Amino acid sequence: MTTLLSAEGLHKSFGKTSALDGAGIAIREGEVVAIMGPSGSGKSTLLHCLAGILPPDSGTVTYRGQDLTAMTDNARSELRRTEFGFVFQFGQLVPELTCLENVALPLRLSGMKRKDAERASRDWMERLEVDTVADQRPGETSGGQGQRVAVARALVTAPKVVFADEPTGALDSLNGERVMHLLTTAARETGAAVVLVTHEARVAAYSDREVVVRDGRSRDVEFVR
Amino acid sequence: MRRVLSDLALGVRLAVGGSRKSWVRLALQGAGIGMCVAVLLLAASIPTAFGNRDLRDDAREVVEEGTGPAPLLVENGSVAFRSDYVRGEYVRALVSDAPKPPGVDRLPGDGEIIVSPHLADLLASPEGVLLRPRFPQKVIGTFAPEGMDGPLDLRFLAGDATIQPNDGNQAHGFGKEGSGGGLPTVLLMLSIVGAVVLLFPVLVFVSVATRLAAAQRDRRLAALRLVGAGASRVRLIASGEALAGAVVGLLIGFGLMFAIRPLADDIPLPEVATFPSDLTPTLPLTLVVIVSVPVLAVLTSVFAMRRTIVEPLGVVREQKPVRRRLWWRVIPALGGVALLGSQAGKFANGSKAESWPVIGGVVLLMFAVPALLPWLVERVVHQVRGATPALQLAVRRLQLDAGTAARVVGGVAVVLAGTVTLQMTLASVENEVRAEDQRERDNPSLSVTVNETTPLPELPGVLAGTQGVRRVETLRSTYATTQDNDHTSVSVGTCAALELVVRIADCADGRTYLVPSGNGVGDPKAGDTLTFAKTGGTWTVPAVERANGNVFGLYATPAAAAGLDLTGSHTELQAEVDTSRPDVVEHVRNALAPYSWRVHTIFYGEDSTSEIEQVFLAVRRALYAAALLTLLLAGASLLVVGMEQVRERRRPLAAMAASGVPRRTLALSLVWQNGIPLVISTVVSVGTGILLGVLVTKAFDAEVHYDWTGIGVVTGISVGLVLLVTALTLPSLRRATGALGLRTE
Amino acid sequence: MVCIVLLMSIGHALLGLLEGGPRHGYDLKRAYDERFGQDRPLHYGQVYSTLSRLLKNGLVSEAGVEAGDGPERKRYAITDAGVTDVERWLGTPEKPEPYLQNTLYAKVVLALLSGRSATEVLDTQRAAHLRAMRDLTRRKVDGDLADQLICDFALFHLEADLRWLELTAARLDALAEEVAR
Ligand SMILES: Nc1ncnc2c1ncn2[C@@H]1O[C@H](COP(=O)(O)OP(=O)(O)OP(=O)(O)O)[C@@H](O)[C@H]1O
Ligand SMILES: [Mg+2]
Repeated sequence: MTTLLSAEGLHKSFGKTSALDGAGIAIREGEVVAIMGPSGSGKSTLLHCLAGILPPDSGTVTYRGQDLTAMTDNARSELRRTEFGFVFQFGQLVPELTCLENVALPLRLSGMKRKDAERASRDWMERLEVDTVADQRPGETSGGQGQRVAVARALVTAPKVVFADEPTGALDSLNGERVMHLLTTAARETGAAVVLVTHEARVAAYSDREVVVRDGRSRDVEFVR
Repeated sequence: MRRVLSDLALGVRLAVGGSRKSWVRLALQGAGIGMCVAVLLLAASIPTAFGNRDLRDDAREVVEEGTGPAPLLVENGSVAFRSDYVRGEYVRALVSDAPKPPGVDRLPGDGEIIVSPHLADLLASPEGVLLRPRFPQKVIGTFAPEGMDGPLDLRFLAGDATIQPNDGNQAHGFGKEGSGGGLPTVLLMLSIVGAVVLLFPVLVFVSVATRLAAAQRDRRLAALRLVGAGASRVRLIASGEALAGAVVGLLIGFGLMFAIRPLADDIPLPEVATFPSDLTPTLPLTLVVIVSVPVLAVLTSVFAMRRTIVEPLGVVREQKPVRRRLWWRVIPALGGVALLGSQAGKFANGSKAESWPVIGGVVLLMFAVPALLPWLVERVVHQVRGATPALQLAVRRLQLDAGTAARVVGGVAVVLAGTVTLQMTLASVENEVRAEDQRERDNPSLSVTVNETTPLPELPGVLAGTQGVRRVETLRSTYATTQDNDHTSVSVGTCAALELVVRIADCADGRTYLVPSGNGVGDPKAGDTLTFAKTGGTWTVPAVERANGNVFGLYATPAAAAGLDLTGSHTELQAEVDTSRPDVVEHVRNALAPYSWRVHTIFYGEDSTSEIEQVFLAVRRALYAAALLTLLLAGASLLVVGMEQVRERRRPLAAMAASGVPRRTLALSLVWQNGIPLVISTVVSVGTGILLGVLVTKAFDAEVHYDWTGIGVVTGISVGLVLLVTALTLPSLRRATGALGLRTE
Repeated sequence: MVCIVLLMSIGHALLGLLEGGPRHGYDLKRAYDERFGQDRPLHYGQVYSTLSRLLKNGLVSEAGVEAGDGPERKRYAITDAGVTDVERWLGTPEKPEPYLQNTLYAKVVLALLSGRSATEVLDTQRAAHLRAMRDLTRRKVDGDLADQLICDFALFHLEADLRWLELTAARLDALAEEVAR
């Protein structure tokens, strides 16, 4: 398996707090990696740097040979839109769009026609078992449904990497497992790699391997396969 | 009772809140309501201002009746200077303690004069050079305010020992019971429309300002409702919040009012310039303002809360709101159009009662704008299917919460509609004034009327010898009543004389001409019998030809007036002047200066274009300033709403930016979100404004004129405002869409 | 099983304690009780039988006898083979099974005492736990409802251990301080 996305020597400080202090990570194609570690250790920051949302103070992030840190903001935006997918803990769905429109949004942003985009989105919503809420607004769905809609939205563009920051953080264990199961299954089917930040072991158990972040430094704990 | 108070207090505390944001909100609310209150208080001072003016006018009136010989002789010496009119009297005291008119310390003796400050300034200035020869007297003082109409009054009181007693100049004292002058029709029309158009948006704006940044408050109150506060308690709490804003607004309003009051002195229009002390709101109206503003604020707030109170969950979960109903919203529009339409052309009759349907119609139509807008915005927004993601985001947002945007933009819309109406009315009035001026200007003749008691046989010679005078003709004029009791003037003169006052091409002796009155009421017809007041004689009107002229009445050639007894008529000299000479009329008037009060001159040929321009420019500027101020305030509200929306949706926005949605798309959706309601409201308000303008001008029987530049400017300003507001929201969007937006609070 | 685990770890614990320097059997018991034996102090018999097993395996040696009689007069020292054994023990994760805390605790304390990386011990263990959880998860995902229920039971127990591991990792600094006293 070739390395898809890697980071080396990442440093990032917010004022006096140092969030990342020489963290590094390598994500191979199609694998599910869990990033674990205590609260405040820099997991989210590492994920943001990896995804090109946050520029690191120093260090490099390489995606398929391109240095993300050297790219313009627009180019990074474009990359995130086309190659990456995102699932956050909550509040990522646009409240005024229906769930279906939420899922279709990234496709439409890439210029797909409304009809086609919504057809493709409906397929994904069926796979994630949320087609029943397609025409409701996020406010009218349950938390678990909302998260699965978010997963559908993250996967609809057939991304190479899905970044998930505490995707089950606001769910009970049954719903959390369901979201994780659907997310990892779908990702494995489409060959997308998943970078999963979580502090729940049972959620992390859906991964192939685990990276632990402590005090802004990361270490690979295990690599299976 | 204790609970009611404590609920109100809780509302006030929520409004004041302590956080910086709530202070900003309160300040904006206070500023908005404060401006409205200031305007309302100024409007409430208008009765005082005009009333005091009338009172002073009445106090100046000469009392002609009295016992014994009159202690004072008064002759009217008012004289025109270019397009200004200098009012004043020449007096001669016959006893040492003769009565004094108000505003002077003592009566001027022979060769002395008292002038108003503004006249003193004019005489001292370079512009006044040509006026000085008419006032060679020694200035012994100036009028105190109680002797003047306003700060820009041109007025004098001069002593002249040559005045001889006659029937018309006896004065036993000053001051009469008020008769109430009333405004001229044109001014009445402008002020009715102006008052309604300006005051109504103010009221609407009070509601808008009360609802400033209300979405978040609604959510808070919905949360209160969800934890178990009863409907009436939530209403009380909401009222408390609204009250806080209204009270702050009242304070700011009174402050503003007293801050701008001294400026009343500086209004460049003599008719409008007012002594600051005259700008005192009447007590009843002040009470009305003090009571109605908070009541309005509370009512609006409670009314707007009704959805939150009925279904609090909907507000919290951002459900699709219920559809707005149309039927009650069209009633004001239809009613307004019907009322105004029914009055078209009727106003000319000048009956006062009919101004009420006009005012009612204007009010109803103005109310139609904010009533219809939310429905219309909702309708349009439900039709639009987002063609691009940006548009979709905006449209969906508006579908969820069209109310806030429509409300704010509705405030803009009312102002816009009002401004457009005023502009059109103004344009129509201006056009009329200009046309009249144009008509008058074709007439290069200075008319000189001689005081009936002092025949001046040498006057035609004096006039003819003055530089710039081409020829002098004589007319004899008198007054008569028709059998319908209408008054008309009858002037007799040769064709050469008549040609100077009436526009006739082929005058021949034996013909009679009629210059019709403006509205055609009371025009004498051929065959009417006229009765002359001076002689008691009668005359049958021969066949008349209609002609244009400046003064309404009959004009007869000597042969046609054969049977007419002209005893008691007065002489009117017509001096044709060479208008190519600058200020020729003022030079001729100066040549007549030695006759002072004995002659009165009227010149219709004055080119007052620049004067008219100045007046209308000033009015227009004031209009723009008022409109701009209101628009700015509305812009500030839009900004608050916009920023608050961005803040509320921080997480989804940040998540979208994180997943690569270009900021451009998000910014564009903001533009759409502000722009769609704005475009709708601009169309509606300009439409309403024009409709209102047409109906009002029609109702006042004037020709309709469209002030497209003005409409364009105001429309442009409001479009620019939305762009500006959106641009100002962008930094907060930038902040929200940074990676930091992803952090939970 | 519990006892076996305990017995096995007592040997390693004693070895670890000996790494600080040769001691009497009585000293060893006191040190052990102080650190690990709060609710279950060692019997002398347990200490001497363990020591003699270690002696037999060549992991400790006798380091002289002091004057007087009795077994408590003997001093023991760790041999090189003993050090290697402790190292291997610390570096090998325990089989992810319930009720590990005693052994793990002993490992952590001994690692701290001997200046080895306690974090390493914990990380190794958590990796083993997670691997087990991963296997269970895979079986659960592929299996029927009965499998799911059984796996979930195990998963929740493992998760509890893992939580404890994490908590301990977070408190290592405090623990190090306490051990050093
Ligand atoms: N925008 C910021 N401003 C200031 N400090 C920040 C910011 N973002 C992160 N930090 C700090 O950086 C450190 C790492 O934060 P990060 O969010 O990456 O932690 P985390 O591992 O995701 O924690 P958690 O499990 O609680 O989400 C923390 O100490 C945090 O306080
Ligand atoms: Mg985090």
